[in-house]
Amino acid sequence: MTASMPSDPGISRASARISARLAEWVDMAPILASRTALRFGPPMLGLALFLALWQAAHLRYGGFILPSPLQTGAAVLAALSIGAGWAALGATLARVALALALSAMIGGGLGLLAGYATLFRATIAPVATILLGMPATAWVILTMIWFGPSHGAIVFTIAIVTGPILYIGTVDAVLTRDKRLEEMAASFGASWLTRFRTIALRQIMASLGPVFGISLALGFKVAIMAELVTNVAGLGASMARARAHMDIDMALANVALAVAGLVIIEHLVIRPFQSRASGWKRITA
Amino acid sequence: MSGLTLATISHGFGGRAILDTVSLVIRPGELVALVGPSGCGKSTLAAIAGGILKPDQGRILRHYKRHGMVFQQSRLLPWATARDNIAYPLTLGGMTGTQVIARTEAAAQAVALLSEDLMKMPEQLSGGMRARVAIARALAVEPDFLIFDEPFAALDPALRRRMQDLVLSLAEARGFGGMFITHDLHEAARLSHRIAVMDRQGKGILGSLTPPDTPGHRSEAQIFEFVEAARQDPLLSDLIHVDERAMSVHCACDTLGFRRCC
Repeated sequence: MTASMPSDPGISRASARISARLAEWVDMAPILASRTALRFGPPMLGLALFLALWQAAHLRYGGFILPSPLQTGAAVLAALSIGAGWAALGATLARVALALALSAMIGGGLGLLAGYATLFRATIAPVATILLGMPATAWVILTMIWFGPSHGAIVFTIAIVTGPILYIGTVDAVLTRDKRLEEMAASFGASWLTRFRTIALRQIMASLGPVFGISLALGFKVAIMAELVTNVAGLGASMARARAHMDIDMALANVALAVAGLVIIEHLVIRPFQSRASGWKRITA
Repeated sequence: MSGLTLATISHGFGGRAILDTVSLVIRPGELVALVGPSGCGKSTLAAIAGGILKPDQGRILRHYKRHGMVFQQSRLLPWATARDNIAYPLTLGGMTGTQVIARTEAAAQAVALLSEDLMKMPEQLSGGMRARVAIARALAVEPDFLIFDEPFAALDPALRRRMQDLVLSLAEARGFGGMFITHDLHEAARLSHRIAVMDRQGKGILGSLTPPDTPGHRSEAQIFEFVEAARQDPLLSDLIHVDERAMSVHCACDTLGFRRCC
């Protein structure tokens, strides 16, 4: 008797490899599933809980006071189905982006200078404290008087509110960096500029990730408040109109759009920046 | 051949004198251990020798082309792999990518680092491996003089001994001179041609002790006997008996008068 042999040894090896890979996947599937559940489960549960509470409040107080999540979703879709909705969202996003870029340049630049120059830091410290203590509403009123209800007034307000935060964050990042690494580089003959570029800046940027996140969230809040007060086109102005018309659905839709805009920017800009600049900190933690 | 002369070096921080006219000559090819109690200014002297600090007074004469430096706690860049850490000083000198790779590989090989270790981040390496990476980084620049600033102080005794063996074999193979800062007399006796003893208040080098034979060729018995004898030497009484908490702070300025500054 002769045992039946596969006609081609190559095919037999390939099928063995495929079955081994399949077995590997079967073994790994429960582990991957539990990891996915652990990663996405708790946030989904939190979101579901929030929506359930919202729905319960809607049932308790009625649609005139608090529309249901579904009604709000429909209002969001309605707002985005016309160009004006996109324009309002785009205007707010553009103002926040422009103002944050400005405050990063000015606040971050001055923060770098102050971090390295003790006298400059001591001189500017009271100014930073005063600016940090100024309420955002006060700036909205002042800029309305100075510039009138304009695009520039809103950008200025966001920049002046977030600038001191970026300044303080940058100063702190400069002061708390590990200077011993720069000493190491100096021992190999690295110039001051090279040490700054290759070592100090790397640590400073890593510390600035959370500060950018906070500034972004604050920038959005200030933008909407300023738009609401100045009635310049944007999500804030749409909210002002919704309030005037007592359109609670549209008011909540604008809130949802603002939150969505914030989340989108955070995930498209801030998070990638954080993981690029400070990913190594998570490894060392 | 490589040597170093530190002539009448004085240095202070914020009006507080750390080093006061310290002079030390390291002859070509000589590995000198610098010992002294904590806080006597050994690391400040190493930083001055390594070009990190400029002394307030004094001269430094370097009779070598390049030096490498190995620090306490390794000082590896936490965002870079072991390979990139070793290559870091090479990237400062405008070398081509091929040269950097070749030198990095050679330095890693010299300290017995495996290629899989080179892909790891510093936090993924053990204390001994981090020390190896730090030594490889110093070797990558092909130095003819090496400065060690208590590089193995944080390692356990067995690992410290392995690292000492590594330094001994590298010194013998490459013939570099150097300065080895330590407060461990046994380590100093094992590694160096000569042990220079620093004053506890940084007021110069008190004197030198020379262990028998040459580093790497001393037996354990010779080292033990030398250390036991040295412990009785008045030169080392501060190193062995001083309590740094009981040390008076020497200040360069008037601490009581109108212009007090410390």
